[in-house]
Amino acid sequence: MNEIIIGIDLGTTNSEVAIVENGKVHIITDDGKKILPSVVGIDDNGEILVGETARNQYLIYPERSVKSIKRLMGQDTHVIMAGLDYTPQEISAIILKRLKAIAEKHVGQSISKAVITVPAYFSDAQRQATHEAGEIAGLEVVRMINEPTAAALVYGAGRDEAKRMLVYDLGGGTFDVSVVNVQAGVVEVLSSHGDNHLGGDDFDQQIVNHIQDHIKEQHGINISEHSKALARITRAAENAKLVLSDEPFALIEEEYLLEHEGSPIHLTLELSRGDYEDMIEDYINATMDALHIALKGAKLTVSDIDEIILVGGSTRTPCIRERLFEEFGFEPHSEVDPDLCVAMGAATQAAMIAGQDVDTVLVDVTPYTYGTSALGFLDGAPYPYQFVPIIHKNSVLPTRKSEAFMTFQDGQKSVNVRIFQGEDPDALNNIEIGEFMVEDLQDVPAGNIITLTLALDLNGMLHVSAKEKATGLEKSITINNAISRFETEELAGAKRRIDSLFGQMDSSSDEIETSDDVSESKAVAEARQLIKKAETLFDTVSDEDKEDMVNLIETITDCIEAGDEGALQEPVEQLNDIIYYLES
Amino acid sequence: MTTPYQILGVSEHANDAEIKQAYLNLVKENPPDRDQERFQQIQHAYETIKDSDSRINYELFHFPETDFNALLDHAFQQKTELRSLNPDDFFRLLNAVSIDKAVTGAIKNKSS
Repeated sequence: MNEIIIGIDLGTTNSEVAIVENGKVHIITDDGKKILPSVVGIDDNGEILVGETARNQYLIYPERSVKSIKRLMGQDTHVIMAGLDYTPQEISAIILKRLKAIAEKHVGQSISKAVITVPAYFSDAQRQATHEAGEIAGLEVVRMINEPTAAALVYGAGRDEAKRMLVYDLGGGTFDVSVVNVQAGVVEVLSSHGDNHLGGDDFDQQIVNHIQDHIKEQHGINISEHSKALARITRAAENAKLVLSDEPFALIEEEYLLEHEGSPIHLTLELSRGDYEDMIEDYINATMDALHIALKGAKLTVSDIDEIILVGGSTRTPCIRERLFEEFGFEPHSEVDPDLCVAMGAATQAAMIAGQDVDTVLVDVTPYTYGTSALGFLDGAPYPYQFVPIIHKNSVLPTRKSEAFMTFQDGQKSVNVRIFQGEDPDALNNIEIGEFMVEDLQDVPAGNIITLTLALDLNGMLHVSAKEKATGLEKSITINNAISRFETEELAGAKRRIDSLFGQMDSSSDEIETSDDVSESKAVAEARQLIKKAETLFDTVSDEDKEDMVNLIETITDCIEAGDEGALQEPVEQLNDIIYYLES
Repeated sequence: MTTPYQILGVSEHANDAEIKQAYLNLVKENPPDRDQERFQQIQHAYETIKDSDSRINYELFHFPETDFNALLDHAFQQKTELRSLNPDDFFRLLNAVSIDKAVTGAIKNKSS
């Protein structure tokens, strides 16, 4: 039997897991749901939450929840969840672990390998971070494929006639556009371009800003100081955006948003589709510019494109379809659910790697130019950091290119090699992705030849080596996200940490199922925690509120002492409501 | 020596469409996953002769691994070798060359 490899779309807002079974691609459901929101949280009992529950908790306890972690992947940063620090890799690993568990439950055996998709325009550091997240989650990432390429694989599979496709992929946090040639069973990416920080989240933020301005104008309150109210507004903005995909107007209503100078603030605001489209116009223009760069990269024009494929939830925005229609003169395709297409492509590629018969071959490109810096000329003047491209944008993967350089000084013993990613002739305007020294060179006059070799693997990850030609002395590195390098031990540590989080969850959920005593004490423990929280608020609340709270606390304490769990629920909920209102 | 035409199994008079078809057929049989060396060989052969521009490059300079553009740069640009250099060395170099010499050199270059 073939080994099972799952396909995972690890998205900014939503994630999915898919598998090929009996030659058919199948999205694996969890509790009937195909989509797992990419939100992680820690609940009252220190248990980990992933998906819908975490998304709901985000409204009440934003400080114990993390969303859109994909936007931070590849950065040397951390997020705080319930008072503890986590790297973006660890948070992503929690989501991956959940997806792995969903798949394992479906197939009834353990799974250790996955194909994970990344935005085509993900940088080397972002790819490396995704790979590490897989390792922390206990998944060997056998391949990372680009999201628009995965979608093209789904649309291109089993088609005989030659077609040129443009994949427009606008997700929660990233935008990619790829030009693809499908012909003779080969899905051949001709060019890719994109933006790592452009997506539906930005659209939400525009609406949030609009609401913030409105509240400031109406009530003179700066809402960004109220984290819970802000979380509610963010959710309301997301909902309004979804409504505007189908309706010309959306009503944004949030009652008791917060209390200001003793009186409650209610939010009621109508947003028209026209106003919303004005807010996001700059973003849409940016995607159109990227689209033309991709076409130029493929040496094609608008009229060469036969089909447009829409991928990513944000492509449901009507004005995107309209703009594409204006540009190309025909309607884009979205027959395959734009939210599921990428995971399906990942599963298809996974099946191919696992050795199942899939009659489509994938040829992909890098969206970036990689090179080094050297003494040269910039604008006609000598310049020490001229960018020397070695692997050019839109080169087919895998690829390997070498360039020869010479030492500059007599007896030069070492060379410092810096690697950059970008298009600017001034290396310093590009992103430096790594640096290393080649030492112990021969003591010879200037002109000692050093060969620098750059290789991009099928995952789009860069490997660099430098060799002294005369001696064969070689120094090589994989660009391990030089900025936030995870050492092997750190990775193992992170894995243990995340495992233990899940361990807690597993053991406690077992206990609830097996023993009534434990679940009783859990409800009681929650009630006690709530009482403690209420008491900390006594100093700041009005006498009236305090009296209500004291009465409820007495009722709850009585119930606990009497062992009457059924009666506990009502006063606990009431107390919870008061606390929620007071805190926001 | 194996020519790109031989690698792709096409005649030297093949047109763009025939070359493309031959390339795709070979890729189908040799996906990048299976044998990366073989795939890169096919890919390189294809890029060398895929359209008339690249074929002219190849006919004119069909030495293996020759970069036509790099040769053009060499022929028409100021003769500068690309060297790894740190900024300190660079400024030391600037100071080492006297302004007089640099100016005379520039004038000479212009008049020649």
